[in-house]
Amino acid sequence: MTPPPGRVDGPDKVTGAARYAADQRVPGLTHAVLVQSTIARGRITRIDTAAAEAAPGVLAVCTHENMPRFAHRPTSWLPPHAQSTVPLQEPDIWYGGQHVAVVVADTLERAHEAARLVRVDYDAETPTIGLRENLGRAYTPPDGTPGALQLVRGDPEAGLAAADARIEAEYTTAVNHHNPIEPSATLAVWEGENLTLYESTQSITYTREVVAEMLGVPAERVRVVTPFLGGGFGSKGFVWPHTYIVAAVARQLRRPVRLVLTRAQMSTSCGHRPASVQRLRAGATRDGRLTGLTHHIISHSATRDLIHFNPVASTQAVYTCPGLRVSTQVVEVDMGTTMATRPPSGPANEALEMALDELSWELGMDPVALRLANYAASEPGATNPETRFLRECYELGAERFGWPRSRPEPGSMREGETLVGWGMAGSYHRWHGMRAQAAVEIGTDGRAIVRSGTQDIGTGTYTIMTEIAAEALGMRPASVRPRLGDTRYPPGPTSSGSTTAATVGVAVREAGRAAREKVTALAVADPRSPLYGAAAGEVGAADDRLFLTARPRRGETYRQIMERHGAPVHASGSADLGTPAPSGAGSYGAAFAEVRVSAVTGEVRVSRMVSALDVGRVLNAATARSQAIGGMIWGIGMALTEHTLVDRRLGRIVTANLAGYLVPVEADVPDLDVIFVDRPDPHANALGARGMGEVAGTGTAAAIANAVYHATGHRVRHLPITPDLVLAAGEAAATE
Amino acid sequence: MRPFAYAQATSAADAVAVAGRDPSAAFLAGGTELLNLMRDGLAAPGLVVDVNAVPAKGISFGEEVIRIGALARMAEVAREPRVRDRLPVLSQALLAGASAQVRNAASVGGNLMQRTRCWYFRDAAMPCNTRVPGSGCPAIGGENRWHAILGGSDACIKVHPSDLAVALTALDATVVTHDRRIPITEFYRLPGSTPHVETALRPGELIVAVEIPAAGAGFRSGYRKVRDRASFEFALVSVAVSLDLDGGTVRQARIALGGVAPRPWRALAAENAVRGRRLTPDVLRAAGEAAVEGAAPREHNAFKVELVRRTVADVLERVGGGR
Ligand SMILES: Cc1cc2nc3c(=O)[nH]c(=O)nc-3n(C[C@H](O)[C@H](O)[C@H](O)COP(=O)(O)OP(=O)(O)OC[C@H]3O[C@@H](n4cnc5c(N)ncnc54)[C@H](O)[C@@H]3O)c2cc1C
Repeated sequence: MTPPPGRVDGPDKVTGAARYAADQRVPGLTHAVLVQSTIARGRITRIDTAAAEAAPGVLAVCTHENMPRFAHRPTSWLPPHAQSTVPLQEPDIWYGGQHVAVVVADTLERAHEAARLVRVDYDAETPTIGLRENLGRAYTPPDGTPGALQLVRGDPEAGLAAADARIEAEYTTAVNHHNPIEPSATLAVWEGENLTLYESTQSITYTREVVAEMLGVPAERVRVVTPFLGGGFGSKGFVWPHTYIVAAVARQLRRPVRLVLTRAQMSTSCGHRPASVQRLRAGATRDGRLTGLTHHIISHSATRDLIHFNPVASTQAVYTCPGLRVSTQVVEVDMGTTMATRPPSGPANEALEMALDELSWELGMDPVALRLANYAASEPGATNPETRFLRECYELGAERFGWPRSRPEPGSMREGETLVGWGMAGSYHRWHGMRAQAAVEIGTDGRAIVRSGTQDIGTGTYTIMTEIAAEALGMRPASVRPRLGDTRYPPGPTSSGSTTAATVGVAVREAGRAAREKVTALAVADPRSPLYGAAAGEVGAADDRLFLTARPRRGETYRQIMERHGAPVHASGSADLGTPAPSGAGSYGAAFAEVRVSAVTGEVRVSRMVSALDVGRVLNAATARSQAIGGMIWGIGMALTEHTLVDRRLGRIVTANLAGYLVPVEADVPDLDVIFVDRPDPHANALGARGMGEVAGTGTAAAIANAVYHATGHRVRHLPITPDLVLAAGEAAATE
Repeated sequence: MRPFAYAQATSAADAVAVAGRDPSAAFLAGGTELLNLMRDGLAAPGLVVDVNAVPAKGISFGEEVIRIGALARMAEVAREPRVRDRLPVLSQALLAGASAQVRNAASVGGNLMQRTRCWYFRDAAMPCNTRVPGSGCPAIGGENRWHAILGGSDACIKVHPSDLAVALTALDATVVTHDRRIPITEFYRLPGSTPHVETALRPGELIVAVEIPAAGAGFRSGYRKVRDRASFEFALVSVAVSLDLDGGTVRQARIALGGVAPRPWRALAAENAVRGRRLTPDVLRAAGEAAVEGAAPREHNAFKVELVRRTVADVLERVGGGR
């Protein structure tokens, strides 16, 4: 494939020409601001909107007292609804930050000011907040609870009993928030019975479905447009109430209404990753073969939306182990609904990979060798085949990093006040295929437009579909114009689960090939064409030209054919990769990190990181690398800086902005080295490409945590590893 | 954001006169703090007086004092070669603060007047005795990893966030307003039972400069900031040290702590522990210990006690020439 020069959407993004949902220019625009509950549990006893209504420029103040009833009410957590609680319908409060009013005014500033004037009195109950504080309430959720898993393979207890070496440890991970750079935004424009919704969403299809359902209008009357997205990471994967609230208010007002969530509202309005407490036991023979492994994970869940959003994936998929148990419990808390957070299986994977590191030290064995001793060529027990190149990841990564044959003793590498350490961990993400359709139109100018009703979350979908279409058509990338993010296009998948490129790519390729066949058929049937009379199979295509493969100089351009034809040619393609793939659809990798820890302050900095990844065939080296380094930076955040703190008594998130919730900044991120095995997985799909967005976000945090242990000789079993925990681990060891 | 009036002042006298018309008036310098406070509903001045045209800029090196204009930008002061050379603690503290973009816009006066980053203070929906006297302090008994271990009261355990103010405390600076001079050690108030009173400044009083005794420019000094990420983050603990050395013996020391108290915390006991001594490991340890004398940690911030001990010893050792 000839990759297009850079990202096709790059110039628009850099120059500001790219219009995101909230940037659309609409005449008569009005501005909505949400008022949110300041208590986490209880009831509204009185809501006084008089001052807000009287404030200058205010057009509407909607509360549970006057908001029209929605046409539908989900009874339990059922995607694509992101939550079952429908705000503004009842006085009950189920979580902090629940929407209790929406104010619409002629300017944003006036809407904000009026929102401040809404007075809400509550009858507050004491909320249940915090996972570790409420472990006594942990219970095993009913079968079928999303994300929960109770799995036994063989006899784990017997395996552990028979082991030569064993470890047992408890790991905890913090609440995390997605914090995409673009906050969620909705702009609703009604024209008669028809709604156009400019939305910052990972799925225009889901948005249309939910909004139509909640407003009681046929889906055909709802058009959702998402030309660009500034990330989502799961926070925009399903449809949250603010979207249909804005659509309903706009209908009532008969004016276009725009809402942009504030950064603080992003922490309560579109999900979060729950905290986890994980207990792992692992036992192995002296030569490192696992005999028994148990992984028990407890996560919090919103009471009303029972989900376990820290799914365990790698423990049962990556290694061979004759005795295995995975068990899941939940603790219900009075927080908003939890949500998939890139990558959902990260916390479970990191705990497993930290436990394996502990086992490697217990065995006195190289951690790469330990993983190789338990290598599984495919997922144990999985029915569908796969082709893994994980062994290659270990080898390539170790070589690039310069992984030592034998690790120096923990705490032994010191430069002045700095302790240096190395760590590695496995990466794994289970992706899933989806369905997609795509259409290609070749115009009379000989150029192609390729359309699919999916969206580019920022990962490079525009670029990749351009590249794939160009290849299938035999055109230059510059001759292909990609169109995404509109429900008028053939339906495409949600941008989640690392699925978009692999799924849409298959459909685009099929559409491109079909279009090329149609144009070929036109040429060979046209006496004016130099290709006249040739068999279709003899015709090749490249650089905007169709030609005889045996005599490449005999041919003509798409443009010449299409000009003569005088009408556009249309073709379509589809992909159905199974929704979702049953099992064994993983992407793999190995992460290696070097850290430098201050022996004085406990501050940890990552100085080097290598990630070797097996994602099947790499569709575009530049966008793939971008995804990988993005994932690695997420790993640094998860390992060292990112945690959401919630006040236990008030049930309020205290880190609800980017000054409180610390994502890594430039200075936290060293040069990141990414290696792709880049071999097609014939079992994945026609392209040989697997999901790749999320895999690099796994393993990196554990590699860093393992390196911190190596640097200091003290194990911190909580993520993020903040300086206080490093100091505490050292002190605990000193007093033992 | 509430509607407000806007005025521009061209001299200190002008600024003070204009601000005197409205008791809720606020001066606007770089705006990196004031505008955020206004957007978040934490400040609602009826009148904003832009002082950027007031001639209170630049840095002058006199025989007695080094004078820094209140409207000098953080970046400008930090990169001034004589500051880097003679007042390393000042340059280091400024560069450890905020980001390059913020430092280009933010002024010295505005920096001294920034409000606490206590997350309860910064969320208008929460109780906070500093913001709404008598409403309570949820940080006590709440999420207080960030909060004060020294100088707090049972009404407030906020932390003063400025790095600059810590360095200025170690440099024995004086805050100069349009009509008086206030030693930095008297500029900030401890919360006691009136946490809403944070500085000695009267309403409408304009800072025009800070002055540093020129003698301090001969001292060795340094700053270290410990934080949760490598940059663009406030201190968990910071330490500023200025040492007047006689060979290896400390003639005078000024030691100030950031991130641990509602104001830049002058660690007098630690200064006493090193005065007249050589910076041996025992003396360093004693100084670290003395620095946390009287510390009253809460549920989540006890780590700061040990962190102060270590960081004080470390900075003294570095500045003292041990390393
Ligand atoms: C993201 C972020 C990170 C930051 N990190 C740090 C950090 O790590 N360390 C640190 O020290 N600081 C940090 N800061 C704070 C930053 O240093 C201050 O915002 C800045 O110094 C304020 O200066 P300004 O000129 O922008 O003040 P303004 O916003 O203009 O004013 C701030 C306040 O001071 C008052 N004021 C301004 N000038 C005068 C004057 N001459 N006399 C009397 N009152 C006056 C104003 O009325 C207002 O109340 C950070 C800020 C941000 C936004």
